[in-house]
Amino acid sequence: MEAHEARLNVTWNRQAGDLPDPIPFDARDEDILQWATEAIQGGSIPGITADPNVDLQGFHVEKFEAVEGRAFHSVVVRPKTPFG
Amino acid sequence: MKITIVGVGALGSHLVQFLRNLDAEIKVIDFDRIEQKNVMSQFHAKNVVGKLKAQALQQSMSFLFGTKLTAIGNKLTSDNVRELLAGSDLVIDCLDNAESRRVIHKFVKAEDIPCLHGALAADGNFGVVAWDDFVIDDTVTGAATCEDGEHLPFIGLAATCLARAAQEFVASGARHGYRITPRGVIGT
Repeated sequence: MEAHEARLNVTWNRQAGDLPDPIPFDARDEDILQWATEAIQGGSIPGITADPNVDLQGFHVEKFEAVEGRAFHSVVVRPKTPFG
Repeated sequence: MKITIVGVGALGSHLVQFLRNLDAEIKVIDFDRIEQKNVMSQFHAKNVVGKLKAQALQQSMSFLFGTKLTAIGNKLTSDNVRELLAGSDLVIDCLDNAESRRVIHKFVKAEDIPCLHGALAADGNFGVVAWDDFVIDDTVTGAATCEDGEHLPFIGLAATCLARAAQEFVASGARHGYRITPRGVIGT
């Protein structure tokens, strides 16, 4: 993985997985959500069953720079978390 | 070290038991009462249904482990936030109420008090343990699906990450966060 790239992790419908290919770390949130949507529709995220009706509207996109113990940037697409 | 935990429902109640060996004075705040359905997913037992969560947890921790807690059975609002949180070295927000989360967020920021947030998705399958990068999501109407007990192991995992973040902060001042997915934990 290049220094400007990141691993994209997606959580959808009680399943989660990483996109097989890295994405640019500075990609726009709208683009990231679109890529995640298309990947889920096409069944290309290991761990997430293909879902033609996926809707990531309202999901958060979070970006985390590489840290000790994780040598690559990480981008997370996740549901809202209103409960505690 | 004085730690104040606001909200001792799903995440907060389990967090308290995981912090029982920490060298800290712990205060818990929650105005809610224990319902039968809470027993399925929270660290509250059948025999305390109907009691205030804060007081019940105080009694359980003392009875089971000899751990002393201070318990406050009030709702945290902008009117009493100073009274309830001032003097804390660490505040841990485990609420399911966006309005009160915002009150906490505003106060700790103004007073420069470290604050750790714990939060769960409505379907009980995503967890957040965050410091300054926490995004407050508006309260959802209806009950959390995690109340049926199906997600208890996941809640336990998220509470463990929350406890670990607090433990790391107490030990070294480090502010580590976590994102808990259905397939693993991502350190942030």
